[in-house]
Amino acid sequence: MKNDDTYLRISLIGALVLALAAVTTELRAGEWPTGDAIAQRINARDEGEAVSRSLTMEMIDRRDKVRVRETRGFRKYYGEEKRSVIFYLQPQNVKDTAFLTYDYPDAALDDDQWLYLPAMRKVRRISASDRGDYFLGTDFTYEDIKLETKVSLKNYSRKTIGEDEVDGHHCYVVEAVPIDENTAKELGYGRLEQCVDDAIWMVRRSKFWDIRGKPLKTIYSKDIRQVQGIWTQHRLEAENHKTGHRTIFSFSEVDYAQGVSDNLFTQNAIRRGL
Amino acid sequence: MPKVSQTTCSRKMQSGGAYSRNGGCMTGAKHTVLVVLLLSTVLDGPASAVEFDFSGSARGRLAIGTDEPELQSTELTLMPEVVSRFDNGWKLTSIGRLRTELVDGLRPGNLDRKTYGPASRPGLLRQEVEVELREFHLQGAWGETYLTLGKQQVVWGKADGLKVLDVVNPQSFREFILEDFDKSRIPLWTVNIERSVGNWDAQLIWIPDHTYHALPDRDATYAFSSPRLVPSAPPGVSVDIRSVDRPDRFLMDSDAGLRLSTFWKGWDISLNYLYQYDNFPVLFQRLDVRPTGPVVVIEPRFERTHVIGGTFSNAFGDWVVRGELGFFSDRFFRTNETADRDGITKSSELSGVLGLDWTGIEDTFLSAQLFQSWVTAPSAGLVRDELDTNLTFLVRRDFFNDTLRAEVLWIVNTNDGDGLIRPKIAYEWQDNLKTWVGADIFYGDRDGLFGQFGNNDRVILGVEWGY
Repeated sequence: MKNDDTYLRISLIGALVLALAAVTTELRAGEWPTGDAIAQRINARDEGEAVSRSLTMEMIDRRDKVRVRETRGFRKYYGEEKRSVIFYLQPQNVKDTAFLTYDYPDAALDDDQWLYLPAMRKVRRISASDRGDYFLGTDFTYEDIKLETKVSLKNYSRKTIGEDEVDGHHCYVVEAVPIDENTAKELGYGRLEQCVDDAIWMVRRSKFWDIRGKPLKTIYSKDIRQVQGIWTQHRLEAENHKTGHRTIFSFSEVDYAQGVSDNLFTQNAIRRGL
Repeated sequence: MPKVSQTTCSRKMQSGGAYSRNGGCMTGAKHTVLVVLLLSTVLDGPASAVEFDFSGSARGRLAIGTDEPELQSTELTLMPEVVSRFDNGWKLTSIGRLRTELVDGLRPGNLDRKTYGPASRPGLLRQEVEVELREFHLQGAWGETYLTLGKQQVVWGKADGLKVLDVVNPQSFREFILEDFDKSRIPLWTVNIERSVGNWDAQLIWIPDHTYHALPDRDATYAFSSPRLVPSAPPGVSVDIRSVDRPDRFLMDSDAGLRLSTFWKGWDISLNYLYQYDNFPVLFQRLDVRPTGPVVVIEPRFERTHVIGGTFSNAFGDWVVRGELGFFSDRFFRTNETADRDGITKSSELSGVLGLDWTGIEDTFLSAQLFQSWVTAPSAGLVRDELDTNLTFLVRRDFFNDTLRAEVLWIVNTNDGDGLIRPKIAYEWQDNLKTWVGADIFYGDRDGLFGQFGNNDRVILGVEWGY
C-alpha cells in the first residue's frame, strides 16, 4: 500500500513537472519570432546596393590537400532583382572563368545563369535547376553562392525550433524545409537548421541534411564585422560530412561605397574578363 | 617607323616564311604600322604600365597510334602569357607558343603555312620547333565603346565539337579537329569594336589579316583524302598542285563582320553577318596534256562569301536548348560531272545546329547536337550529299569536387555512317598539375569525313603544368 502511495506521488510530481515544462516551452516558443519573421529580418538587412570584393577559395580534401582560387566578385541590386558576377583570376587552369547570375524576385521566374569557359572561349547558358550542384569544386552549391547572406523565402517553409550560441553570439535556430519534393531535389537539401544571430540578423551557422535525411554539411559564417556601416562576413567555412571535403571562403577588399558599373553584369563582360 | 617595318620584314624572311607574290612583306609592314599607331593612340597621355601579370603553361603529350603502333606525337608546348595593366583601365595581353615535336609523327612541317598572312605566320626554328605569337591585343573602354585591337580570337556561335558560325578565325587542321579549338583556332589581327545600342550589343569586326585554314600536305598524318574534300587523279594521270593563291590586298581583301546580340525574355539571341573569304581554298582543277602524259593541275584559290546567321539559347528546368543557323551565299563543292571543266560547282549553303543539354543528375552533363548542312542549289555530279547530317553526343561527369572528370564524345555522320569516338579521363593532382588519358577512335567509310582517318586511331597521355 505504501509502495502504491509513493508510486502515485512520484507519478503526480512527474506529470506536474512535464506539464510545467510543456507550458514553459510553449510560453518560450511563443516569445520566439517565427521562422518566416526571422527570414524576413535577414533579407531586410542592408547589404548595400552594390558591392565589390576579392574572394579567396580554399578547397581542402580529406587528406588535407589544398587547392586555392583567387577571384574578384561584384553584386548589384536593380530594384529587387539581383545581379552578381565572379571572375576567376588564379590559378592558371581556371583563370578567366566567370559566372554571371540574374536573380529575379518573381517566384515564377527561374534565375538566368551563364558561365564563361576560357577553354571554349564561349559564354554558356547554365540551367537554373543546376542550383543544387556544387559550384566549381567547392562545398557551396550554386544556390548557396547566389544567396550570399540572404535566405530563400520562396523555396522553404520555416519554423523556429530553439536557441543556441555560436562563437559567443546568441542565435535562434530556424528549421527550414523545402516546400516540395521537387524543390528539395533541385536544392539537394532535405532540411536545414540555421542559427541566426538576432543582434545583427545574420546566419552564423547552417546545418544541412540531404534529401534522405542524412547529415550533409555545415557552414559557419565568421569574422563578421561592419564595413562602411554594413555587417559583412569575411570568412565562410563549409564542411561536407559525407566526403570530408572542406571549403574556406575568405573575403577581402570589400567595398560598398565605390559603386559597380552595370557593364560588368553582361555576357560580354564575362567573356572579356577583368 | 620605316625601320620597324624593315626589321620585321627582314626577320620574317630569315625565319623561313615565304612571302606571297604581291608584296606580302609590305602587308606585314602595314600590320606593324597599324599596331604601333593603335598602341600610340590609345596609350597616349597619362597611361603607364602599372602592373604585369605573368603566367603560362607547359604541356607534354604523347599520342600513340594503335592501328600501326607508332609514336604519332611527342609534343612539348610552352605558352607564356603576359598581361600588362595600365592605370587608365586598358590592358595589353601577349600570349606566345613554343611547340616542339620530339618525334615528328604528325609531320607538322608539312602543314601548309602559305595560307598564313605574313604578320600571323608562325616561325620554324627547326622543322619540328614552331614558335608563334598566339595573341597580342590591347583591350579597353573608350567612352561607351569597348575596343580590342590586335591579334585575337573572335568566337561566334553556340555549338560544341563542330562549327557553323565559328568561322571568323581560321583553323589549323594539323590534327584534323582533334585539337581543342582554342589551340587550333588561328588568331587574326583584328579591330574589334563593341558598343551597346539600346537593348542590343553590337560587335563590329574588321580583319585586315589574310590568313586562312592551315591544311596538312598530302603525306601528313592527317592529310585529307576524302573525295568530299579533295580530288583524286585516275590511274596513270599525275597531279600537279599549284601554290595557293592567297588574297593579300590589305584593304580590299580584308574581312568584316557585325554581330548584334541581346537578351530578350530569357532568350540569348544574336544576329550575325560576316563578309569573308571562305577559309577553305577551292581546289579548281584542269587537265593538261604534256609530253609526259596527262596531268591534273589543281589550282587552290580562296573565294568570297557572305555569311548571314543567328544564334539562340535558353534554359528550361534541367534543359538548355541552343542553336545556330548560318546561310553562306557562295560555297564551292566538288563535282564529278564530266562536263564540268574545273571540277567545282557553286551553290549557297544553309547550315544549322540544334543542341540540347541536360543536367538532371548532379555533376553530370549530357549533350546532344544535330548538325545539318544543305546545298541549296545542287548540280549534277555533286560529290557530297545535298543534305549532310552529323550528330554529336557528349556524356561528362565530375567526381571528387571536380578533380576528376570523365567524358565520352561521339560524333557520327549519318550520311556516310562514319564517326569519331573520344573517351577521356582527366585528373587534377594539384592546382596547376593535371594529367589525362584518352583515345581518338575513327570508324566507318574511308571516303567519309571521319572514316578517312581510320588508320589514325590513337591513345593519348598528357600532362599540363600551369604557372
